[in-house]
Amino acid sequence: MTRAPLALALLVALPASAQDDLIGRNRVGPADAPNALTFRLTPYDLYSSDPATREGFEALFAEFIRARPGWRIETQLATGEIGQEQARLLQQTQAGRGPDCAMVDSSQLALFEETGVLRPMNAVFSEEEVADLFPYVREAVTNEAGDVLAWWWFTDLRVLYRDTALVPEAPQTWDELEAAALATVDEGREGVLFSGGRWEGTAFDWLANFWAQGGELVDADGRPVFAEGENREKFLAAVEHVRGLVESGAAPGRVTAITDYDAFNAAAAAGTAALFVGGNWQLGQLRGILPPEEFERWAVSELPGPTADQRATGTGGWAIAALTDDPERAAMCGEIAKEIYAGPGNALQGLLPTSAAIYERYDAYDGPEYDLFAEALENGVARPGAAIYPEISTQIQILLGDVLSGSAEPEAALDAAAAAVQAAYERP
Amino acid sequence: MKTPRGPAPADAAALPWLLPAAVLLAAFYAVPILDVARLAFSDATLIRAPGTYSLDAARALAGNPALPGILGTTVLFTGLSVAAQGLAGLGLALLMVRGERRGLHGMAALRTLVLAAWVVPGIAGGLIWGLLFSEAPFGALNSGLRTVGLPPVAWLSDPGMALVSAVIANMWQGTAFAMIVLYAALKAIDPILYEAAEIDGASAWQALRHVTVPLLRGALLVVAVLATVQTLNTFDAILALTGGGPGRATEVLALFTFNTVFTNLDLAGGAALALLLFVLSLAAALALSLWLAREEE
Repeated sequence: MTRAPLALALLVALPASAQDDLIGRNRVGPADAPNALTFRLTPYDLYSSDPATREGFEALFAEFIRARPGWRIETQLATGEIGQEQARLLQQTQAGRGPDCAMVDSSQLALFEETGVLRPMNAVFSEEEVADLFPYVREAVTNEAGDVLAWWWFTDLRVLYRDTALVPEAPQTWDELEAAALATVDEGREGVLFSGGRWEGTAFDWLANFWAQGGELVDADGRPVFAEGENREKFLAAVEHVRGLVESGAAPGRVTAITDYDAFNAAAAAGTAALFVGGNWQLGQLRGILPPEEFERWAVSELPGPTADQRATGTGGWAIAALTDDPERAAMCGEIAKEIYAGPGNALQGLLPTSAAIYERYDAYDGPEYDLFAEALENGVARPGAAIYPEISTQIQILLGDVLSGSAEPEAALDAAAAAVQAAYERP
Repeated sequence: MKTPRGPAPADAAALPWLLPAAVLLAAFYAVPILDVARLAFSDATLIRAPGTYSLDAARALAGNPALPGILGTTVLFTGLSVAAQGLAGLGLALLMVRGERRGLHGMAALRTLVLAAWVVPGIAGGLIWGLLFSEAPFGALNSGLRTVGLPPVAWLSDPGMALVSAVIANMWQGTAFAMIVLYAALKAIDPILYEAAEIDGASAWQALRHVTVPLLRGALLVVAVLATVQTLNTFDAILALTGGGPGRATEVLALFTFNTVFTNLDLAGGAALALLLFVLSLAAALALSLWLAREEE
C-alpha cells in the first residue's frame, strides 16, 4: 500500500468552506481568473446527487485548480440522456461551439475519432502509463501514430449476480445457468432476469453470449458480418440460448419489458430475484439498498458461456477528451483526466480503473469482488468502433424482443436485422 | 368643426394589418418546415452538413421494410387513443355538468384532478405508467389483480398488450384536454332544449344522441383534430414506457423519427420521416374537418 489513500482522505477532509468560493454550479476556480477552460461533464461526480461523492470531487477539483493560479474551469453539465448529449457534443464541436474538454462515452470514441475532433494529449501521458492500460482500452484511445486521443478513465462490465442461499455455486455454462434458474423458480423466485426490452443494455448484455463464441459483429473495415458464415451460427446459438431460458420458464416473459438495470435492484430488494445479469456497479447499489444480512447472500461471478472456457463480457465506461486546438488547454484537459478522475476519482466511487497499477494503488480495490472484476475484464469486449454499431444494436434489440415474445423465429428475425443493417451501411 | 375621419375598417388595405402575423408565422412555422424539407432531400447526418441533394433519403424510406408495420402501429395507436380520449373526455364532462346542476360537492376537485394529468410531462407520465404496469411480482396493477383473484396481465411484455398499455397511458394524459373543451361546449347548451326533450318523452340516451351530440359537433371536431395531431406526434411517453418494444410493437412514427435522428444520426432520413409525419397530420386534420362538415350538412 502507498501513501495515496492517506492523501486522498486528507484531501476529502478539507473544510468545506475552503472550497466554497472555488466551486460553483458552473465554475471551478476564481471567477476572475484570466484563463478559462470549458469542461463538459456528466452529472455523476462533481455535481453528483450523492453528497459524499460530490464533496470528494469538490475537494479534488479544488486542489487541482489551486495548483494552477490564473485558471478557472467553466463547467457545463450534460444530462443523463447519453445518446442525445453525445450527438449534440459532436455537432457543437464540429461547428466550433464545443467545449475545450469533455466526457465522452467509451462507445462513442470511434465516432469522435472518425470525425477528427479529438486532439492529442500526448504531453500528459507517458508511454508506461499508456502501456499499462487494458488492451481494449489502449486500442480505443490511441491511433495508429500512437497519439493519445482520449483517456478512458473508468470501465465497467457485466456480471452474473446470484442469491447464494439458492444458488451456492456460480453457474459456469449456459446449461448450468438454465438449471440453476429453474431450481430457483421451484423455490418461488423469478429465475434469471436480464434485459430484453428496447434499449442499448439489451443488445450489449446479450452480445457477451455472441462474443464468448468468438463471434464478430463487423470486419476490420467496419462492414457488418454478424449474419454471415460462422458468425451467423454463433449469433443464432446465442439467440437460442436466451429464447430457451424464456421458453423453459428459467426466465420470466417480462424480460422483454426490462429497459433498465434498476429493475434488477428492485427485484432483489423485493426478494423475487435469484439470478440476474447486471453491471458491476450494481454491487455497490445493492449494498446500499439491502439490509446487511440480505446483501451478504448476494455474490457475483463471470457471465456463463456456452462452455466453461468460452467467456466474454461487455465493457463500457467513460473517457475524457480534448476538443480544443489550443495545446495548453488540451494538456490541461489531460491533466484533469489524470489527476482527478483516473485514480482518485475511481477510488472515490469504486469505479473500475482501466489500468492495473491503479488497482494496486488504492485500498478501495482490496475486496474479493474486485479480483473477480479484474479477472473477468481479461475477457472484456468493447463495442466495435464502427459507425454502424448503433444500427446493429437497434436491430438486435428488435430481434430479441420479437423472438422472446414469440413474434418471430430467430432465423427470420436475423435475416430481417441483417437486411436493415446492410441497408443502413450502404446509405451514403 | 368636423374631425376628419380615415377610411372605414372595411375600406383599409389588408396587407399592413396582416403583415406582422404573416412574418411571425413564416419565421416560426414556414421556415423550419422548409428547412426540414430541404434536409429530407439531402445527405445530411447529425454530424455532417448537407453535401449533395437527391431523392436517396426518400427512396430509402420508401424501401424500408419496417415502415408499413410502423405506420400500422401509428394508425392503430392514434385511432384508439383519439377515440378513447374523446369518449372518456365526454363522459367526464357530462359527469361534471350533471354534478354541478345537481349541486354535488367535489366537481371542481375532480376537474382539477383530471387536469393535473394534462400538465404532467410525457416522459414522467410514461414512467408513472411504467411503474403501474410493471410485471414484476410486486407490480402495482398486477398485485391488485392478484388480490381479487385474477391472473396477472402481460401489460408490457406481450406485443399486443403493450400497444393497449401505451393507449391507456396516452388516454390518461390526453383526456383532460377533451374534457375541458367538451365541458365548455356542454355548458353553452341551452337547458331549455333538454326540458323540451323531456316534455317530448325523450330518454336520457335519446337526449344525448339527438340533442347533446349534434350540438357538440364543433367541439368534437376541435378535440378530434387536435388530439389526432398531438397523438401522431407523441413519442416521449412511449419512449419512457416501452422504448418502442417489445421488438417494434409500440414503435410509432414519431418515435421512429426520433430514433433515426438521435440513435442512428441520420438527419436526412429523420427529416424525410418528419415530413411524412407532417403530411399525415395535415391529411388527418383535413379529413376530419371535411367529414364533420359533411355530417353537419
